[in-house]
Parts: sequence; structure tokens; C-alpha cells
Amino acid sequence: MNRIESMLLELKDTSEYMIDLAYSSLLYNNTDLAEEVEFLERKMDDLSDDIQEAIVNLGKQQPEEIARFSVILRLQMAIEDIANAAASIADVVLRGLGNHPVIQMSIQESEVTIERTVIQPGSVLRDRSLGELRLGSHCGMYVIAIKRGDNFIYRPGRDEVLREGDVLIAKGPDDAADYFIGLADGSETDI
Amino acid sequence: MADEDRPDLDDMTVQELLTEMKDISEVIVDLAYASLMYNSRAMASKVNELEDEMDELKYAMRVKALLAARTKEDARELSGILQIASAADRISHAAGEIVDLLDVPPEKRPFITNLINESDEKIRMVRVSPKSDMAGNTIEKLGVEANTGMKIIAMKNRYGWIYDPDDDVKIRAGDDLIVRGTEDGGNRLNDFASGRIPWEFDEEREAEEDE
Repeated sequence: MNRIESMLLELKDTSEYMIDLAYSSLLYNNTDLAEEVEFLERKMDDLSDDIQEAIVNLGKQQPEEIARFSVILRLQMAIEDIANAAASIADVVLRGLGNHPVIQMSIQESEVTIERTVIQPGSVLRDRSLGELRLGSHCGMYVIAIKRGDNFIYRPGRDEVLREGDVLIAKGPDDAADYFIGLADGSETDI
Repeated sequence: MADEDRPDLDDMTVQELLTEMKDISEVIVDLAYASLMYNSRAMASKVNELEDEMDELKYAMRVKALLAARTKEDARELSGILQIASAADRISHAAGEIVDLLDVPPEKRPFITNLINESDEKIRMVRVSPKSDMAGNTIEKLGVEANTGMKIIAMKNRYGWIYDPDDDVKIRAGDDLIVRGTEDGGNRLNDFASGRIPWEFDEEREAEEDE
């Protein structure tokens, strides 16, 4: 994979993550999550600049390929729009306008559920890595963020080992929510 | 999100409008990428349709919010909701921009298929075999996403395409499912859909526990 492609991939994956995180920040009216969205938005701006610069340089070297490169620019701009929209959602929380109950209710009623749950001592998730658990493939719940002590771990990777007391924020289908919560609180052991 | 059971926009509450907008904002981006991946005009026109619907929802929301504001505090809080609505609308327009790339012939769209294949969550198509015991069951009964992590973003059956199918839609042999999720979730779903491994119905799981 070349450099532009990997930058574009990072841009796309981050934009999707930002939407999840932005809606999570609304659901919990949580400024930490909202600030992370804002932080990612600034990173996305830099990444977008880098992509554009790389495309311009490539265009100078291969003028005959300019039409192909312009497609990448259009895609990059669309993805940047999505990231900006996510930041605008998080901005509602940062401005202190996120505490209207309608906001929380509208997200709870949505097709995609967001759940927050704590790893209890008896949980089968405890001391196991996300890569080993593969919760996304197993029950459709994707861990968006982990709160450990006072700190958040955003976009946790495969190597992240879950510990007792971790607060998980995850998204997924409605009918997986009870099962997922059961896994975390220890009442569900079948994994 | 089936069109036929959506109430009149005027009858929807602010909360219902916002839920609908959030749901569309999430599925429309997946559909947009899938339309590029499969070079599908039909899917792209559904994206445009959802984009228009999002516009209508946004305007309905503005009217509702303006009517509801009695005090300065009301107005402040409602302005936050309107900002979310605008952002959801912007996401749908970005999805519209993505499907506009279909006007460019596929060979002039470098990277895009790769890009989607390399993403954290991938989009793929699986066909339901007559041998699969998924056939004849609704999405709800199967709990497709809860069991495999794969979200069905669109499906093609003998009547045509269904986008963001509701839970009560029945899956039949020969249906093509466009799904989004992890690589191993996709492989598992493919095993179920091809009939290589039997579907684990929840009842069976419960029955095992009782034994």
C-alpha cells in the first residue's frame, strides 16, 4: 500500500470513529469524549493537508494521471466533511448544550445502540485482550473507548487487555446489548 | 427505516426526527462506500433518496424547534439539537459527494476498492445458499449482527433491492447480502450463509444451558 493510500485509509477510518465517538459524547453529555473528537478533527485537518500536498506533487510528476488523482481529492474532501460534521456534533456538548433529555432519548431509540458497562471481578472479559475476545465479530459490539481510572483509552487496539474496573463504551446492535453487559458484569460466561 | 411505516413528518416529535436523522447518518455512509465498491447505480440512487429525506427531516425539525421555543433557555437548548440535525444532514451530503464519484469510470477511481477492503470494518457480499438454515428466517430471529457482528446494509432478493432492511425482513435462499463488519465476522457469516456450518439459534443455546 503506498503512502497516499494509507493516509486516505487513516482518514476514512478516523472519520467513522469520530461519528461513533461524537454520538457517544452526546449520549453521556461527556466533555472528555467530545474533546477527543475535537482533537481528532485537528489531526484530520493535518492529514488532509498532507494528502492534498502529496496529490499535487504526484500530479506534477505524472500530469497524464491528473484525472485519477482528482478523484482521490474529491473523496478526501467528502471524508473531511464527515469529520467536520462529527466535530460539530461534539461541539454541542462542549458548548454545554448537550443536556437536553431529547438528545439522550433520541440516541437511545436509535438502531445502533451505545452501551456503557464496568468490568466486574467475575467477568470473563477480565484480563483478556480485545484481539483475543473479538467482541465485534462475536456479538457485534465494538469497544469505542475504555475509561481506566481517570483516563480514557480511545480506539483501543487488539493488544489492549481489559482490567477489572474498566468502563467500556461500546456500540452495536440492540439485541446484543444485554449479552454484552452480562459478559462485563459476570452474569454471562458463555463466550 | 422502511418508508411505508414512517409517520407523516408533521406528526413526528423532535426526538423521533432526531433518531431518524441519526440512523440515516450512520447507514448512508456505508451505503455510499458500498455503491462505489460494487459500482452500483441503484445503491447510489438510494443514497440520493436518503439525502433528500434528510433535508426534509432537517426542515421539519427546524419548524418544530422554532414552535417549541418559549423562553431563552428553550431556544438555547433547541439550538443544540438543531446543530446536531445540521451535522447529520452534512454527513448525508458528504455521502452524496461520495456516490457522485460513480460518474467517473471505475478504472479512473484508483484505490477506492482497496481502501474499503483495508478498512477496520469491511464491506462484502455474501449469498445465502439453499443449504443454509438462515434461509426462511427473519433478520430478527437470526440476530445476524448480534451473532456475527455483520450489519446488513443492503440486500438483493427476487423482488429487488432492500436498503437498511428492517428486522422483520425474511432472508431467503439466493438472496445477496451486503454486509459491513470485521473480516472474521464476515468469514463466519459466509460459513453460515453457504450452509457449511449450522446457524446457532438462541433457543438452541438456551436449551443447551438447561441440560
